[in-house]
Amino acid sequence: MAINKKYFQSLSQLANNPKLDLLQEKEFADQLPAEAFLGDEDKLSESSTSRRDFLKFLGFSTAAASLAACETPIQKVIPYVVKPEETIAGIANWYASSFYDGNDFASLLIKNREGRPIFLKSNDLCEYGGVNARVQASVLNLYDNSRLKDPMDNGVSSSWSRVDKKIIQGLSANNISGKGVVILSSSIISPSTNSVIQAFVRKYKAKHVVYDAMSVSAMLDANLESYNRRVIPTYLFEKADVVASFAADFLGDWLDSGHGKNFAAKRNPNNGSMSRHYQFESNLSLTGANADYRTPVKASEMGVVLLNLYNLIAKKAGVSLVKVALSEHRNILQKMADDLWKSKGKSLVIAGGNNIHIHLLVNAINDLLNNTGKTIDFSIQSNLKTGNDQHIAQLIQEMNDGKIGALIAYNVNPVYNLAQGKEFIQGLGKVDLSISFAEKLDETAAQMNFVCPDHNYLECWNDANPYTGIYALVQPTIHPLFNTRQAQVSLMSWSDLGDDYYSYLKDYWRSNILGVTSWNSALHDGVHKLKTKEKPVTFKTSVANIVAPLANLSGDAIDLVLYSKTGLGSGEFANNPWLQELPDPISKTTWDNYLTISPRFAKEIGLNNEYVSNGALDGDVVDMTIEGVTLRVPILIQPGQAYKTVGLAIGYGRSGSGKAGDGVGVNAFLLAKEFKSILSGVSLTKVEDAVHEFACTQLHHTMMGRDRIVKETTLSEFNKDPRSGNEQMMLETHKGPQEPEKITLWEEHDRDVHWWNLSIDLNSCTGCGACIIACHAENNVPVVGKEEIRKSRDMHWLRIDRYYSSDMTEEIAEEEGISSIDKFLAMEVASTSESLEVVFQPVMCQHCNHAPCETVCPVAATTHSREGLNHMTYNRCVGTRYCANNCPYKVRRFNWFNYSDNDQFDFYMNEDLGKMVLNPDVTVRSRGVMEKCSMCIQNIQKSKLDAKKERRKLKDGDVDCACATACDTGAMVFGDGLDTSSKVYAQARDPRSYHLLEELNTQPSVWYQTKIRNKA
Amino acid sequence: MLESALLMIRQLCKLYRSKYLTLLILLFICTFNFSFAQSVELGESLFSSNCASCHYAGPEDKKLVGPGLGAHTLEEYSTEWLYSWIRNSSALIASGDEQAIAVYEEYNKVAMSAFTYLSDEDLENILAYIEVGPPEVVSISAGESVISQEESSDSRILLLIILAILILLGLVLSGVKNSLKDAKGQQTFGLLENAIIWIKDTPVVIVLFCLFLVFSGGRFAWNELLAVGVQQGYQPQQPIAFSHKIHAGENGVDCNYCHSGARHSKSAGVPSANVCMNCHTYINSGTISGTEEISKIYNAIGFDPESKTYIEGYEQKPIKWVRIHNLPDLAYFNHSQHVNVAGVECQTCHGPIEEMAVVEQYSPLTMGWCIECHRETKVDLDNPYYHDLNQNWVKKYHGEDMTAEKIGGLECGKCHY
Repeated sequence: MAINKKYFQSLSQLANNPKLDLLQEKEFADQLPAEAFLGDEDKLSESSTSRRDFLKFLGFSTAAASLAACETPIQKVIPYVVKPEETIAGIANWYASSFYDGNDFASLLIKNREGRPIFLKSNDLCEYGGVNARVQASVLNLYDNSRLKDPMDNGVSSSWSRVDKKIIQGLSANNISGKGVVILSSSIISPSTNSVIQAFVRKYKAKHVVYDAMSVSAMLDANLESYNRRVIPTYLFEKADVVASFAADFLGDWLDSGHGKNFAAKRNPNNGSMSRHYQFESNLSLTGANADYRTPVKASEMGVVLLNLYNLIAKKAGVSLVKVALSEHRNILQKMADDLWKSKGKSLVIAGGNNIHIHLLVNAINDLLNNTGKTIDFSIQSNLKTGNDQHIAQLIQEMNDGKIGALIAYNVNPVYNLAQGKEFIQGLGKVDLSISFAEKLDETAAQMNFVCPDHNYLECWNDANPYTGIYALVQPTIHPLFNTRQAQVSLMSWSDLGDDYYSYLKDYWRSNILGVTSWNSALHDGVHKLKTKEKPVTFKTSVANIVAPLANLSGDAIDLVLYSKTGLGSGEFANNPWLQELPDPISKTTWDNYLTISPRFAKEIGLNNEYVSNGALDGDVVDMTIEGVTLRVPILIQPGQAYKTVGLAIGYGRSGSGKAGDGVGVNAFLLAKEFKSILSGVSLTKVEDAVHEFACTQLHHTMMGRDRIVKETTLSEFNKDPRSGNEQMMLETHKGPQEPEKITLWEEHDRDVHWWNLSIDLNSCTGCGACIIACHAENNVPVVGKEEIRKSRDMHWLRIDRYYSSDMTEEIAEEEGISSIDKFLAMEVASTSESLEVVFQPVMCQHCNHAPCETVCPVAATTHSREGLNHMTYNRCVGTRYCANNCPYKVRRFNWFNYSDNDQFDFYMNEDLGKMVLNPDVTVRSRGVMEKCSMCIQNIQKSKLDAKKERRKLKDGDVDCACATACDTGAMVFGDGLDTSSKVYAQARDPRSYHLLEELNTQPSVWYQTKIRNKA
Repeated sequence: MLESALLMIRQLCKLYRSKYLTLLILLFICTFNFSFAQSVELGESLFSSNCASCHYAGPEDKKLVGPGLGAHTLEEYSTEWLYSWIRNSSALIASGDEQAIAVYEEYNKVAMSAFTYLSDEDLENILAYIEVGPPEVVSISAGESVISQEESSDSRILLLIILAILILLGLVLSGVKNSLKDAKGQQTFGLLENAIIWIKDTPVVIVLFCLFLVFSGGRFAWNELLAVGVQQGYQPQQPIAFSHKIHAGENGVDCNYCHSGARHSKSAGVPSANVCMNCHTYINSGTISGTEEISKIYNAIGFDPESKTYIEGYEQKPIKWVRIHNLPDLAYFNHSQHVNVAGVECQTCHGPIEEMAVVEQYSPLTMGWCIECHRETKVDLDNPYYHDLNQNWVKKYHGEDMTAEKIGGLECGKCHY
């Protein structure tokens, strides 16, 4: 009897993929059409070049080329004419400065080599703000070739004197005609700049309108209503035992880049307790991925969920309840309410989005929980965002009514990031004089009469007052590269204040801020703190009034949630190739934005993602229509996404950012009418035959049951047994079970000088990606572009693996008798939305002490050092790639091309200006060699040398690698593992510590610490 | 003076007719001469350390800050006057000394600093030096090659001698053979023919000869390939004919004074023009090239040697030196590691730089050269950095020398990253 059994080689074959048939038919590649040419006798005889001639040419050119190569080019060495006293060629100077771009604030130390800023790190003297991936990457923006090099007068390059003359004329004429003068800016936190603007406002009777692209206007308004103060308080995550976040991506872009470190401070399980973090959200955010309990909620149901929580807490507090339908999430809400009530005064309820009712309700809940004044500090307010959505709407109306005579745009790009961009352009047509301070000819500046390009923040003096009582200075770390002028100076010269902003700033500080402190010491520290006064607030909102707008459910309509990525944010830095190539922490997709859609919903409406033969990901494309606006976007199936809610990232779809950023993705700001980030009533139509090509750095979703890769446990288990989740692995031998480390064929390396160790606490790592950018900047890691990433040729020395949990485990399969194939197929699938958990794991070269790569290199280009490092010698490498093949961690990267001076990779390394960001202590690798993490050996060598020069011992903290420097949460600790007093020595002996793939006994120098979730 | 002294001695000798006395007197004169030479030498060093920054030793019109000093000075002023002037010129001026006031007026009322610490003996030596003046310096003009060929000449001569002996032997042998053949009545051949016949009859010689050709050709090619990119002896013409021989050699300027980065940084650094100006504000004219080369510095920085002022608003032109020592980008080298930590003398790698009128690359700067030194160089274990490490090593190496190699100085990643 014949058995009807079908064997198949791959799932695609089983599914009858037509592409596969094509591939099967044509097993071999097409041959070159040599016959067609050589077979044509006439053509050959016509050719005057004989075979002998050809050989002559060949010989001659070879000889000529080798002769030319023998001559060494003459190099010049050009010293300064007058050397600045503080500069010694080859030694970096560090300057304290600050960063603020309208979103994030960070107090910085900027590394300056031979007059060029090349790297930055956070200034420990300031506990506020934080260095995220964007701040870290901002140093590259300085060397952006698309920056304006001269002032522009109606699209033509001009000079400052001519532009000034015309502008002053225009402004005075406008004064006479009586139309309004408006300065339109993003939030300004610089007191001196505000003072300059006020002077300008007084002189020209102008108006100052402020709006933020990523607006928190609703929150400000809610606080005005609740507390009578239109301010953003500071949120003290380090004091909160329970954090309940409703779509607030506080580890990402919610309000402040400094929340990560504060949150991590409360997440150290070694103290026996950790904060517990609940997250309700629609998109899977970075914050949601780090939550202990995460619940996906349809965006329009968030109000109902919050009202339910209010009722649960109100019941405990004994105040009257509101009328609302019961939420389907009541179980988890009940648990959360219990936790919150237990930690009254030590908890935190926060919400994202720009909906005033939500924020009013959150204020009410925090008031019931007695958090206001404890974990929510109104005496130290954040000034980072002060914009008002109504004001900009009003301004556009006035512009269109012809009431505005002159408009000055400072650090804003309304044509790009306002949904009413078109109305803005129309209104601009009726404005007599329009001036932009944009650094480049962006979407808005291109529409303006004059562009007076501002300095980059690394080129100018400035100050900042990001939080109450915190004053920071910005100092130039390079001479201005182009004929640009600081916006403040422009305003000053138009309002007869001279052109010396530095003196203005200094005077302002002397008379208003410094007191008895000297200017020099403030400048040295970069930050100056003043005492703050307690400012108690009282809550005065009636909850009853806000129930109605929140209790509405959108029913079956599809919701859209606009979000920002940790890489691009609001899109201001879209032309920064480092950020474009930084994989999204969740989707691991580069160079793109897309519609995130839940697996269940995608299946329902017939949308699909597909892996193609070269291992890359393709996606269907949809036309998305909402309120009359249609965008054509690709879809990406995202585990953890709420059902019937789709997500789209802002910051993409630029057209005036420069060559790297233009045309990448679509502009989601077009949908954000009235600064709404949540919209309802989306319709999706699949575009037939359209396929979008994604460039992802990780396509596998789960660990496929290999639970020893990221080790994880819960706090309760951990408190019972510190080694829970991190049980010692044993291998069976003839002598009985043995630790892998005991079974070895290798001889031990000398370990008597130093032993450089890196410890990574998976519990503190939020997956934000700042370390990846820092590594790029420090180690001259090239940008390869979307096409190459799609071919899995990314060059990141450090990657962050993201794993989703799966509902299928070995145990379940055994219990339920599921077959092997079905089991593994199911294991590949991430959990359903409700139970999905996410872990992050930064992986770089593990610097194995029994390194598999070292043994297979035929030319000994990768060798072991007696300091425990795995050296990679580029000049010795011949590019066999055996090492990458043999590396179990897959951390070696091969240079398939020359990524510098190559028009195929037209990023910063292809131009002289961009190359100024390169670290002169690190080789720029050329084609055909392998590279990988060196643990920033240049820093190790430098610190050792410093110690030797100063004739002292090396102490803990002297040496740091770029990733550990950039890690705000302290997840990465670097140091000497032989130094018993070092932090890393202690970390390595922590019961949570383990080696990745311990069973291979590679004996890495990198340690990981078990992730702990605070679950009951 | 000497002549008259000798005459006197001869007369004395005639008087006493004593050879011994002559000898004694001659001995005395020798010592006198010797002490005379010594005082000039002392005077020179005192002059260069105290006076040279403002005075030339030369004719009066060769001015720096003050006049040139020479025999004419001693003629013009009395020794006592000079002593008190040098010790405290302003006091002399204040006392109303006419000569002193005249000098003061002539030199724009720039007071000379007081040298109260100079003893009578010092001043005597200085004046002795001034009277004689500096010796004529014979320098090689800039740009001229100074590579010495001597080192290889010895072996070449030896080779030539051996070759000559061999040819002689061949001739002798050939002669002997011919005379033997002659005696036997056989046909005789010349030296060359004999050799050809011998080679024809012995194929081993042909094989050996071919092998010799192959190996020597291979060796030659290998050496040539190894030398690609090695620029030992590279001695380019520089935009300013700066002589290390004059600065570092004759004037004894410390290397670190100009190459100040060597102690602190990875690059020793070519001094910026303002460092040159520390001396050349006053020294306007060089020993060989006169004002020509020094004026190039002024041209770069914008300095007017006449008025001794910097020109305001001058567009400075950096000096574009030709780089001689050129490591490839793939190799990391740090001067301070070698100069500051290891205490390596500049000359170890850069050769007798103080004798080079035109600098050349002394060392090959190849990796083999680096490694060779790292194999032999001992580590300074007294440096507290090595303190703990030292304990381990003592156990491990039992008193062997701790070389750079033993602490990982040959590892690839120490220089290549």
